Amino acid sequence: MQADFQQALAELTACPEHCRALRADAAWLSGRYTLSPRETRQLLALVRHDGMAHACTLYRMNRLAPLAINFEATLAALGGELRALMSAYWREHAHGHPHFFIESQRFGRWLQARPALASGVHAALALELAGVEAALAASLQDTEAIA
Amino acid sequence: MARPSVGLLYNQTAPALLAHAGGLVEHLTAMPDRLWFDFGRSAPRGQRFRAARAPIAELQAWAEGRVLAGHGLGMSLPSAMPLDETLLHAVSAIDHALGGFAWYSEHLNLFVTPNASVPNAQAGLGLPLSYGEAALALLKPKLRRVAGALGCRLLLENGSFFTPLPEMEMHEPAFLNALHEQGLCGTLLDLHNLLVNERNGGMPAARYLDLLDLDAVEEVHLAGGDDSLGFYADSHSTLTPGVVWDWAYTVLPHCRRLRAITFEYQESYFDRIGVRALATELERMHALAEACAQQQETADAS
Repeated sequence: MQADFQQALAELTACPEHCRALRADAAWLSGRYTLSPRETRQLLALVRHDGMAHACTLYRMNRLAPLAINFEATLAALGGELRALMSAYWREHAHGHPHFFIESQRFGRWLQARPALASGVHAALALELAGVEAALAASLQDTEAIA
Repeated sequence: MARPSVGLLYNQTAPALLAHAGGLVEHLTAMPDRLWFDFGRSAPRGQRFRAARAPIAELQAWAEGRVLAGHGLGMSLPSAMPLDETLLHAVSAIDHALGGFAWYSEHLNLFVTPNASVPNAQAGLGLPLSYGEAALALLKPKLRRVAGALGCRLLLENGSFFTPLPEMEMHEPAFLNALHEQGLCGTLLDLHNLLVNERNGGMPAARYLDLLDLDAVEEVHLAGGDDSLGFYADSHSTLTPGVVWDWAYTVLPHCRRLRAITFEYQESYFDRIGVRALATELERMHALAEACAQQQETADAS
């Protein structure tokens, strides 16, 4: 049960929609996770706490950080589509990659594969993704494998 | 208690501070996670971690003549999943490259689960652990394994949260006390995290400090934060707030095993805080270390 409790905690923090669903219906947890009655009460209290919205925001800010640094023009060009696209990307990649350039490269390639992006997005993305890939290669030049 | 040493959590702006006020810094705490590139768990065997040679060489130079400790961000020891042995191997390699850590600390937070993770840029968003016997049982073998692999004293740091968990089997000080009593690790007491938790609806710091076994405390972190969207965040963006200094002067002289007082700041705030203010902070830490030593001398004499 400990593992399911931790999994639920992480997934709720990553997804405000899950928090809203749980706040609306306490049965949302059952079927998804195996929890003790106390763990269920703890998670319910957690999503009802004001701090949960802040934790969700901080999660998104932290995951957005490498992309905001490396894809400034692309994200600006996405405009109103940005929020939905980021949610979709984070759903598909629940683990953020620890390497900023690799996380950025992964996002850039994922975005390139999306259909129906505005032409301005494609132009900015191509330029910034090339920059990320060059920076990634450069960052690895003075390194050695250790594990 | 010998006089605790005064030091810094090393980051990429630390060399500028060390050049300005190096005589005030007796120990450095290195974050191995900042000295490598991690290609993720799916990377081929032996190719997941690549050490960055230049930052390691620079740290080696600044650590000369100083005590060096390690402070990990990503091991996520409380996670209900096997220990990340490849990560431990990488920490061990960095430890070896730097000549051996005097002690090594990790966070008592959750960052990784089997199918998710929370981003952990300098421990900005650790998830709370539900303290109890099950969590103790989960941590025991991992702590023994890490301490054995690194061959040095292991400490766990109290975390900061926005969402305190109700109905826990035991509170955090009792959990840290139990870890210490069972000989598994010591406590890295982050006094600023107590302020964060108190401000965000957690246990009042005074009560926390009453409940904590001060003999478990071997290192103390000082830091500052700021208000963010109605909450108080452990952003490491300012000098240590006055109330945290008050707690430090009240409690630290009674921590008989305290060996180090460490200041943490986030490098992106280096210019805003300013090198002179940081040097003054280090001077204040020396005065605190002296007060600890004097208190102990008085206690020993009586």
